[in-house]
Amino acid sequence: MRRYLSLTRASFQEWMAYRLGFFFTIIGNIVYLGVAYYLWSSIYEHSTVIRGMTFNETFIYVALGSAIFILLKTYADWIISHEIREGIIAIHLTKPLDFQLYSLFSSLGGILMNLAAISIPTILVLTLVFKVQIAPGPGLFLFPLSLFFAVLISFCFDYFIGISAFYTESTWGISITKDVIITVFSGALLPLQFFPDTIQKVLLMLPFQAIYHTPLMMITRPDQGWDVFGPMLVVQAFWILALFLLTRLYYNQAIKVLRISGG
Amino acid sequence: MSLIHIENLSKHFKVLNRREGLGGAVRDLFSGDYRTVEAVAGISFDIEAGEIVGYIGPNGAGKSTTIKMMTGILKPTGGVIQVNGLTPYENRIRQAQIMGVVFGQRTQLWWDLPVIESFKILKEIYKVDQKTFGDHMGMFNELVGLKALYSQQVRTLSLGQRMLCDITASFLHNPQVVFLDEPTIGLDISIKAKIRSVIQELNSKRQTTIILTTHDLGDVEALCKRIIIIDKGKILYDGDIKQVNALFGAYRTLKLQIDDFSESTLRELRKKFDGRFSGDHGITVAETEEFWTDVTIDQARTHLSDVLSAVMTNFPVYDVRIVEISMENVVKQIYDGALE
Repeated sequence: MRRYLSLTRASFQEWMAYRLGFFFTIIGNIVYLGVAYYLWSSIYEHSTVIRGMTFNETFIYVALGSAIFILLKTYADWIISHEIREGIIAIHLTKPLDFQLYSLFSSLGGILMNLAAISIPTILVLTLVFKVQIAPGPGLFLFPLSLFFAVLISFCFDYFIGISAFYTESTWGISITKDVIITVFSGALLPLQFFPDTIQKVLLMLPFQAIYHTPLMMITRPDQGWDVFGPMLVVQAFWILALFLLTRLYYNQAIKVLRISGG
Repeated sequence: MSLIHIENLSKHFKVLNRREGLGGAVRDLFSGDYRTVEAVAGISFDIEAGEIVGYIGPNGAGKSTTIKMMTGILKPTGGVIQVNGLTPYENRIRQAQIMGVVFGQRTQLWWDLPVIESFKILKEIYKVDQKTFGDHMGMFNELVGLKALYSQQVRTLSLGQRMLCDITASFLHNPQVVFLDEPTIGLDISIKAKIRSVIQELNSKRQTTIILTTHDLGDVEALCKRIIIIDKGKILYDGDIKQVNALFGAYRTLKLQIDDFSESTLRELRKKFDGRFSGDHGITVAETEEFWTDVTIDQARTHLSDVLSAVMTNFPVYDVRIVEISMENVVKQIYDGALE
């Protein structure tokens, strides 16, 4: 385990090397929060509850959604396809490391950085500036766990796309498509409650909702009981297991067609 | 049993036939027009523990592909490959623990971190204990004065410094075999010499088997007792370097830039040499690049100085360079039967 944790530390340190980029990310995120606040407060001007959600709940959902959106970007798809194209992958494959775990733990460094630079500032701004109240409840404590599960699921999607570069060499188009699908189907763009009932039912059966919808439900309605949150966590755990296994099988197939540039 | 056993090993790649231009690029999107490239076409050899073997050949000969199969990155199309009794491709992670690799054109160090951090990370990855790590770093510090570089970011290192760090890194976990793929590419003479002496030292101190791929025949002459020459995926020569050494040593290429060069210049040169030197004088003339004419001389048969004076007195020479024989030329000489 230590060998993988050292990769996380290394990539965290590498992200730290580019400080300016992160200061701008923090500022950009705060501007976004302001825009979202005024947009949703004008939508809620004439009604207190839309589709069963109050302004407070919707704003937390949308604002945290963006903070989590960044947290869930593992960039594994971009990194792996870049490394395949440039032939750098050969170096990783000469190390006594499992490639899937190597990718995961390297990605975690960037995620920790985003946690420090974006997610935590967002929570501070929400509570201190916009005075958003989060009701206490079991959801509040389960939220970090559920978020961590969400990171693992998101990683599986990125890893899947990244591995596809073994076949396609470039994954630019597929990556963009994946981002759009996840943004829409996971409830990141719009809470799932806003979708028509039948579509909602279908979306809840797909893995995408376990990325955004699940952790966000815990933080927007933390006062609900274990009977609601328990099954949600089980569903997340199920998708983690299923997607980790599927991407492993995919890797075992894909590695066979690997071509490495330079000789 | 030998450390590395390779028998009738081959690797084929499927490559898309790309068309020219924008229209071609668009049509390629839907193309199923593949051709098969035989990067390695049935090679066999055995390498014993403790050997330094030069694995050489011209560009695209299949050297790196062989290395990537030995390290378990690529799956062979056919044949047998075993390192330390195991098939690398099927036991990649386990095998990685007994191997070290340097790809000269890429670094295994963390680009944005100080040098010492990379070593610390590799220490964790290979589970090297503190004492071994300390001994290793101490030894390298003695050999090349590495300590001065510890706090520098990898991307700020010169190519030579980076290569020394990369070599240090590849020996960190005391591997049984180290693959050095073009370790001296793009380096100047003094740093090349340093790298060669480090490799030599490590091989003799630790009995590490070293497989060296290079373009630089100087590396091979300095380090290897045995060489394997590969071209177009096939082995041309496998044996003692002494035989081939004569070949490297004896040939020099005179590169000439002649004023008013035309097709007839080559003919005139050949005629001049035939007239001046009798019998089988071993001089070949060829135009290699624009404005440059290569005259390759077998010094066992003709003196370089005689050829040079014959050229200088009869042709309007604008520029001259004398170079040692190139890899491509060695391969050509072998095809022409120089080793038989």
